[in-house]
Parts: sequence; C-alpha cells; structure tokens
Amino acid sequence: MNTGLNTLRPRADQAMALNMTLLSHHELQGFGGMGEGIAMQMAGDGRRILWMAHESAPKDFTGVDVSDPRNPRVIVQTELPHMKMRSNSLDVVGHLMVVARQVKELGAQPAGFDVYDISTPEAPRLVSHFDASGPWSRGVHAVWFVDGKTVHMASGAADFQPIDPKDDQIYRIVDISDPTQPRETGRWWYPGTRVGDSAPPPKRLPGIFDTGFRAHNTNVFPQRPDRAYIGYIDGGAVVLDIADPANIKVASQWNHSPPFNGFTHTVLPLFERGLWIVADECVKDDGADWPKLVWVVDARSDANPVPISTFPAPPYDTFAKRGGRFGAHNLHENLPLPCSFQSETLFVGTFFNAGVRVYDTTNPYQVQEVAYYVPPTPALSPRGAVQLNDVYVDEQRLVYTMDRFSGGLYILEMNV
Amino acid sequence: MSDRDPLAGKTPVTLITGFLGAGKTTLISRLLRHPDMDRVAVVINEIGEVGIDNDLVKMSSENVSLLANGCLCCSVRTDLQETLRELFGERRAGAIPDFDRVFIETTGLADPAPVIQTLSSDGMLGAQYRLDGVVTLVDAVNAFTQLEQSPEAERQIAHADRVFITKRDLADEAGLALLHAAVRAINAQADIRVCTMGELAPGELIGIGLSSARVDPGTLRFLGELAAPDSGAVASGAGAYLGQRLPQRHDPAVKTLSLRFTPPFGWAAFSGAMEMLIGLRGKDLLRVKGIINVEGRPVVVQGVGHVFHPPVTLDRWPSGDTDSRIVFIARQIEPAALRTLFEAACALHAQGAAL
Repeated sequence: MNTGLNTLRPRADQAMALNMTLLSHHELQGFGGMGEGIAMQMAGDGRRILWMAHESAPKDFTGVDVSDPRNPRVIVQTELPHMKMRSNSLDVVGHLMVVARQVKELGAQPAGFDVYDISTPEAPRLVSHFDASGPWSRGVHAVWFVDGKTVHMASGAADFQPIDPKDDQIYRIVDISDPTQPRETGRWWYPGTRVGDSAPPPKRLPGIFDTGFRAHNTNVFPQRPDRAYIGYIDGGAVVLDIADPANIKVASQWNHSPPFNGFTHTVLPLFERGLWIVADECVKDDGADWPKLVWVVDARSDANPVPISTFPAPPYDTFAKRGGRFGAHNLHENLPLPCSFQSETLFVGTFFNAGVRVYDTTNPYQVQEVAYYVPPTPALSPRGAVQLNDVYVDEQRLVYTMDRFSGGLYILEMNV
Repeated sequence: MSDRDPLAGKTPVTLITGFLGAGKTTLISRLLRHPDMDRVAVVINEIGEVGIDNDLVKMSSENVSLLANGCLCCSVRTDLQETLRELFGERRAGAIPDFDRVFIETTGLADPAPVIQTLSSDGMLGAQYRLDGVVTLVDAVNAFTQLEQSPEAERQIAHADRVFITKRDLADEAGLALLHAAVRAINAQADIRVCTMGELAPGELIGIGLSSARVDPGTLRFLGELAAPDSGAVASGAGAYLGQRLPQRHDPAVKTLSLRFTPPFGWAAFSGAMEMLIGLRGKDLLRVKGIINVEGRPVVVQGVGHVFHPPVTLDRWPSGDTDSRIVFIARQIEPAALRTLFEAACALHAQGAAL
C-alpha cells in the first residue's frame, strides 16, 4: 500500500480542478473532435449561440445554444462536402460567420473560406466562397474576423509557390465589406520562402522540429488597425505594419527558436501594458517537443522585444507521458467583441492533455497559475488522455473549451 | 489593475478547535469516513490518534494518505506552516490529487490566533489560502467547569465563527439552554449549533467566511447581523439580551459591542484608530468583524485576537446601508470608549479633508 509518492499522482481518467467548476459537458452528438475555432453569437432573439469548427471530417461546424450554460443544446451540425478537407477555424461578427476551408491534398477544392449568414442560427446560409485553391495550396488554416469587414488569415494562394512545401500558408488580407464579393487587399510572406524570392531561404529547424515558415494566427485589433500580430510558426512572432495593405512591412520580430523547438502559434498584444503574450503550439505526442510554452515579451521597443517570463508550465512528470500532446496551444484572444472576455492580466489557454489553465500576469515577471481544469479522458479518446484544443471565454467569464478528438465541449465557471 | 478577485481563488481553510475532551478526535475520525469529504485535505496532528483503518486508505505517501472517499489526510510533520506549504506545492507539482479546501485540527489547548497569523504573515500561504472560519467544539457536559478554570476555553468561544455544542446526548435540555446562553453571552456573533457523537456533515464546516470580493447572496450571509438594517444602531453594552439576564458563570467582562458610524472613514484614520486600540488593549480584543465605509468604498475587516485578516474591498455595497458597522468581542472595554476613539479618528480625517 505505501509504495511511495508517485502512487498519489492524479491519473488521466480523473478530473483535476483548481478554482474551476464544470457546469456541463456535451459530446456534440458523437462528433466531439474539435478544431481551433470557437465564437459566440448573440442571436436576434437573445439566445447565445456558440459556434465551433470541427477538427476533421465529416463534420464542418456545430452551433450550440449555450444560453443556459448548464444545459447546452446542439441546434445545428453541418457536413463537409468530402472527407479530404476540414474547417478547423471560424469567427463570428454579428450574424456573419467566416469558416476556413483547408484540404489535405494540394490543388483540391474547396480551399479558402466560406461566409455564412447566421441570422437564423438553425439554418446558416452560404453568402460567398473565397477561393484560395491552387497547385501548391492547401487553402486556409486559420481565420481572424473581428471588424465585420476584413478577414485576416493563414492561407495558401493559387499564385504562391513555396520553395519548401511546409511554407505554403502565408498571411493574407481579404476585404469582405461586401460579403458577397470577397477580394484580397494584401499579403505578406516570410522573405526567402517563395520561389523567385531574392532573399536567401531561412535556416530551418532541425529534423522533427521543422514545422514550416508559415502563418498561424493573424490577429489585428481595433486599438492598432495598422498592425498585424502573427504567429509565424518557425518564423517566430512577427508584427507587421499593414497601414498600407499593398505594401506590408515588418514592424517587429522575435523568435525563440532555435534553441527552442519552433511553432509560434499566437501573438496577443496587451496595448495598455506594452507586452505580448506569445503562445507556442505543441505538435508532438508524449512530450517529444517539450517544452511548448507561453511567453511574456516586453514589446515596448519594436526593435528589441525582450522575453521576460514564461507562464509556469504544468508539471512534466504528471502529463508528458499520460497520452497525446502536452504543452501550449490556443489562448482566449481578447476578441474585441461584446460577448468576449477581455483582460490585460488574466489569460486562459489550452494545453492539450494538461487541460485548460488560467494565469494571472499582474506581475509580468512572476506569472501565477490561478486555475485549471483537466477533464478525465473522454470516451473513445484515441490518445488515452484529453487533448483540449481551443478555448473561448465570454464576457460573463464562462469558459468554453473543446477536445481535439472525441470529448466535445466543456463549459466551466472560473472562480478567480 | 487585475481582473482577479483577491479572495475567490484561494483555498479555504477551516480551523477546528475545541476544549480538551470536547470531541474533536471523534469528529475528525467520522469526517475521514464521510462520503462528502471528497477533495478535502484534513491536517491532523497525529494520524495514530484518529485511527484510520488500513482498508480505508487507497494510497499513501510519507505523510499524505488518500482515503477511499477522496479525502486527503495529512499529518503535521514539522509544523503547520510547512505542512500547508507542502500541500500546495505537491498539488502544484501534480504529485498529489487536487483538493478544494483544508480542515485543520488544532491541538486541545491551542489558540487559533497563531494559525491565523501564519496564514496572513506567510506570503506564500497568504497568497494561496484564506481562513474560511473558526469552528469551536464546546462540550455540553464539562463546559461550565472548563469556562471557570481555563481562560483558553473562553477565548476559543470568543474566536469562533461557529460553535458546536457536543455530547448533547449526555446533557439535559435545561443544561443545554444554559450553555447556549453562556456561549451567546461570550460571543453574540457566532452561529451556535448542536451535534451528537461527532455526527456532523462536512457541509456544516464550510462556507463560513467571505469567499469573494464580488458581492452576492453569500456576502449578506457572511455579514449576518452587520447587514441587518438596524444592527447596533445604538452602541449597546452587550449584544444579546441573554448575556445580561443569565447567571454569569464566566468572566462577565467579555462582551459583544456593536458600533455604527455614518460619516465615511479615511483608511489611515480607521487603521490608525484600530492600531491604537490593538496597541493599548490588544490582549483584550478577542474578535472584530466589520464593514467599513472607506471614502465611499465598502471594506471588510476581520480580526481574531489582535491578528487581522487582510482587509477586503468589496466591488459594491451589499445593500443600501453604507454606514460603517463593527462588532467587537472584547474584555473590559466600554463601548463609549470605543465609540469616542473611532469618532475622533473620523473627525480628524474630516478636518484634514476640509483643509
């Protein structure tokens, strides 16, 4: 019986919680493998609808009425046109939803994004499709749409031929102020990644850590409409001056890799504090690319962003080998929208098998973990542990998080 | 600037005190078997004392055992401070299962004030834990003798947020009523309950203190009498009438005093007055609880003995009543003296503000 400390270690089949309470869990009708797009709509009749993009086929997106967070109800779940594609990402402004289209094979369609009118949430109506397909394109991986008229995205393009196929998704700006007529207004790619570039190709990370010089999250906030904050994967954090979309320039850049293991996912600026919160994405199972962290960067100087701390990482011994990925992924990104929690100090992120975690950065040099919830292994999970993929926090501080493979949606209350 | 509630994220701690022989060991050993003790860490002095059967223990490490009901039972190895630090650290490291709250059994004669002092003076513990409340067990059979013989017994009652009269099965109704009144006379604020043979649901030991700086129905429950519209409208000599009418079987000098002030305080004026009071009469202060109007903002202050919890600024007033209201349990302090002290502080503040 007394067999030492490790016997007390929590197991993957047990929930772990600190200052968070599970209000409800919904498996989304057996299709609980969710991507990295969550958004909330306040419907015309006052209902709160949570929209989520699926991680893989056959399902496209699911809308859930979360007006009663203890009793969420699926109101619509849609199918993709074929199995070799996925949606992965979406955003909502008012009653307009933008959904990414990413394909598995170069040249396949539909690759780009769709615009839906969701005035009647039960019956989303396709308004237009922006085509980003092409011989070297897998379409769109992630969209950012918060102003009702512009889509910023990580996307391939028909005319963009990367030198290395991993560098296929660049930063593109698409004007949808007329939602029926999306048109590209600007783009930027990492110098030296396109066939014909005069700049030399960037030095790649070694072996399994070479995940590409391409865009992931492409965030633009109303406080600085002339700046795009981009997680450029192995290219690190890149801040672009987009004042003139036809002539985009680098404003600031910071990369921790090497010596770290690449995959910068999110750059979240804190305008009042002159900080960036920069999140990596873990992309390997069983701790193979550990540590994947969230960084606090002092960005008062464009010329010299300085990392000042990292969020205290969940314990390696408890999670690294419990199954699947372990490390940082999506953050709640202070969406400048009425149903979105916004904070310069509290951050909520998903860490795959280490669940959803809340950090207080009031002292940016000494960030504190103040809450977490790690769901037990979902039924039918192929990894043996939960893999929380994305998170959204509404203005009532309710936390919506979802599993990458089978767990679906978890709604939590944050007690901090 | 922070979006964090200074209280909500902290792990609540309930201190269980009681006279020697009041039934603490019986209570703890029953709690350890109670199905509602999942995710509670119980800190006890000596595991041997409560006699946990081996078949109750699911897993254990050097000084922490996970019991079948999900309760973590921890023995104090070096000292309490170290034990609480270790519990937090091991949970943070994922080395032990999570827990939502802590119950601490204090030893028979222990004064809870040093434990509270530990929570407020140790920066790390203060950041992670908050005192939920002091629960005192009072033995229905021997209480009167103990109250006469030991000033500690009286202090334990005065310190309590909640008093459980134990061994009711061994006392008659008249004796119980008398004891109830005697407890009330020492501590007019405490919630007095009765239990038999340590049969107490864990739910009765929690939710005592202020759990959030955001005002909700729990705030009103916590403020209790302070939130009542007419509480202490007059600085009364004693809180509850029974205290004056019943035969005085304990030190009659311990009284509950309620004060109310309408003009707002400056924080410096209020804390200055309080520090003066502590400096001059700290050992005679047994308990303080109040909601203070500090330049319009509601600030909750609490003290056990002369040790004060960190003051908590609420996000709004819990009701329309914005008067400062304070209740003292004190020995041989006249309400008029207290009133004069705080009124003087108030007046000094007002004069300063007028300049």
